[in-house]
Amino acid sequence: MTVSRREFLKASVVVVGVPWLGLAPAAAAAADPPRKGGTLRVGFYIEAQTMDPHLSGSKIDRQVYHNIYEPLVTLDTRLGVKPGLAESWTQPDPKTLVFKLRRGVKFHDGTDFNAEAAKFNIERMKTEPKSVRKGEVANIDTVDVVDSHTIRVNLKKPDAALLATLTDRAGMMVSPKVVQERGAELGRNAKGAGTGPFEFVEWVRDSHLIIKRNDAYWNKQGGPYLDRVRYRPIPDDVVKLQSLQSGEIDVMDYVQPRDVAAVKADKNVVVVDVPSLADFAYQLNLTRPPFNNKALRQAVASALDLEQIVKGVWLNVGVAANGPIPPTSWAYDRSIAPIKRDLAKAKAKLAEGGQPNGFTFTMTTNNIPINVQEAEVMQAQLAEAGIVAKVKLVDSATLIADGNNKNFEMISFQWSGRPDPDGNTYQFLRTTPGTSFNWSGISNPQIDALLDRTREISNQAERRKLYSELTKLLQDELPMLFIIHPIEPKAFSPRVQNYEAIPDGMMRFKDVWMR
Amino acid sequence: MARLVLQRLAATVPVLLLVTAGVFALLHLTPGDPIDAMMAESADATAKASLRAELGLDRPLHVQYVAWMGRLLRGDLGHSIRNGEPVLENVSRRIRPSLQLALLAMAISLLVAFPVGIASAVRRNTSVDRVGTTFALFGICMPNFLLALLLIFLFGVTLRWLPISGYVDPAEELVDGLRSLALPAVTLGLALAAVVTRTLRSSMLEALTEDYVRTARAKGLSEWRVVRGHVLRNALIPVVTVLGLQLGTLIGGAVITEYVFALPGIGRLVVDGVFARDYPLVQGVVLLIAVGFIASNLVVDLLYGLIDPRIRHR
Repeated sequence: MTVSRREFLKASVVVVGVPWLGLAPAAAAAADPPRKGGTLRVGFYIEAQTMDPHLSGSKIDRQVYHNIYEPLVTLDTRLGVKPGLAESWTQPDPKTLVFKLRRGVKFHDGTDFNAEAAKFNIERMKTEPKSVRKGEVANIDTVDVVDSHTIRVNLKKPDAALLATLTDRAGMMVSPKVVQERGAELGRNAKGAGTGPFEFVEWVRDSHLIIKRNDAYWNKQGGPYLDRVRYRPIPDDVVKLQSLQSGEIDVMDYVQPRDVAAVKADKNVVVVDVPSLADFAYQLNLTRPPFNNKALRQAVASALDLEQIVKGVWLNVGVAANGPIPPTSWAYDRSIAPIKRDLAKAKAKLAEGGQPNGFTFTMTTNNIPINVQEAEVMQAQLAEAGIVAKVKLVDSATLIADGNNKNFEMISFQWSGRPDPDGNTYQFLRTTPGTSFNWSGISNPQIDALLDRTREISNQAERRKLYSELTKLLQDELPMLFIIHPIEPKAFSPRVQNYEAIPDGMMRFKDVWMR
Repeated sequence: MARLVLQRLAATVPVLLLVTAGVFALLHLTPGDPIDAMMAESADATAKASLRAELGLDRPLHVQYVAWMGRLLRGDLGHSIRNGEPVLENVSRRIRPSLQLALLAMAISLLVAFPVGIASAVRRNTSVDRVGTTFALFGICMPNFLLALLLIFLFGVTLRWLPISGYVDPAEELVDGLRSLALPAVTLGLALAAVVTRTLRSSMLEALTEDYVRTARAKGLSEWRVVRGHVLRNALIPVVTVLGLQLGTLIGGAVITEYVFALPGIGRLVVDGVFARDYPLVQGVVLLIAVGFIASNLVVDLLYGLIDPRIRHR
């Protein structure tokens, strides 16, 4: 399997640009009308943590949520924001958002979704002591109920990224009645709690979680078609894949790069490449030697061969990164090339940085096979420039602790990405006191100003220009080394039809049906 | 007998204190933090701080330990940080598959190990013995995960006789339950059978050279009665010791097998808990596992008396 970067970019345009084709499994059967019924069996790598979207800190939870709950606004395949439970919105001034809510929507418990319910949800995210959403809705000051189906959201300061944030957990509406009556029990039992195309049925911890079709779903176009969806945790990748190949499950959430070629050759499995929002990178510690020296950061960047890493380690299941923003985003600037390998430049920069004979540093990374391989390849590439990288392998909790405490020289940072480019940039690069994902410790007035500006203006074309400027600046300043924007392939049984891939990787089964 | 049990129970108190203090210290000294691990994708310091305060994780370590011990004395193991459920509930849900798997694996190992071990010892240095010892060596050398994947490939993917992964409770659906446990039980059972075979063979060989065996033979007893009544019974003590120790390992230490077969057992619970730095969960489970180990060793000691009257306790 060889895909050049250009082909990948073209492919991602096709994937994100032609939503009505309904992607992969459907293409062959475009003529068949959708059939109602069937149970879709989904294999996940771990179990969900909680059914309460306001308390959820686990990525896997969202896979279930996007079928039982609905956010105020949703994403389309191009990462544009489209109506969800809000049928329209206006922004009378940069600090005010007015949402017109959809009428006739009921929660699964029979109560009405209305302005009061929306206000209740946003306020719960802000005030509930265990809320994990506080940071996402921090810019929301107050919510006013204008009429039964209109709310006005008053912001503390302009936030162009807020709408995109509301397409996920922070925008999801839970039945106030269920929250009040069930309390903490909602975490395990979400019966009646959502408005989505599927209703929660049962969750037997460590075994399975079942949702069923909501026949009273407000949107009468298309599905839901499936009778049920049954999720099960299968932690081992090899076993999960074998379960799919032998027909024990119909969908698996992620195929490892090493398995992609083999699985694509298997006629009993359909692979859908879902270009992601992610950027996999390394943060460099700017607060201490050696990487407080810009020339040495540039030497490392010039010594690395990203194309080779993408090809050799990631087996082309992804594309070399030019910065934090992935090709799936409207803000991606394809005219900016990833940093090219240039050993002569690396040597020159080493001399400029006062280390003409190279230097030694430690790179901290997760102790998982693909990270170890990547570290080894980088080690070899850097060695050719005379730079010695020592690899320190840690588990993810230690990695986060080391990052937060700036206890590293270079550290792996694999970010799953956010639909708005703000989510891939601001929290990593803006000067922030205290803890944040700005592990590198970068504090650059020019970058800060650019980042602030991208939040204040809402015009997409203008924001795109600012992000291009930022990307170029980052290639020079190098607080982080951006390696790859991975593809996150999902695999299906050929019976599964009409799956629409959205780059946030969430599997929304509303229009999916089984042959 | 009752006095022995009481004495042994009293002796467990310092052991358990040591275990809890050790686990508590080790966990908290390990870098990483449960809230960061749980909210790995959030840099929201205020939310994290309020969650830490809510869970009491911002208090000094000794205060946390005393609070934990205080709750423990009232029979409360606390709540898991990650899923918010009581630790005891997590454990009681996870212990079932682990116990069923351990007992099934043990049954398989005994069914295999006794005939093979006895035959190897009685027919020492013949081809029977060589086949037996080769099997034992193979079982000890074969890593669990590899055997597991081979079994899955053969019986799950190729022949499709058995499910590849997942767990069904045999108490609810007997046939499906046993089918779901078959491959993992064989995986664990074969490794254990190898250990038991070797132990049984060597202790039988030792017993076979004893004077009383010669006497028994001289009395004209049939070889089978000599082996069964005199050799095997005397050779059982080390085997029971091994089985007692292994039972504990099977329950708490079958992590890889549980992982590969997606079995929700106690071993995976601990390992996932450690990765998530879920302090109360890990502390609680390790405590319970320690109690389990102590109990199974006590049972083994009592069994000694049944097998060998000379060590019967007064």
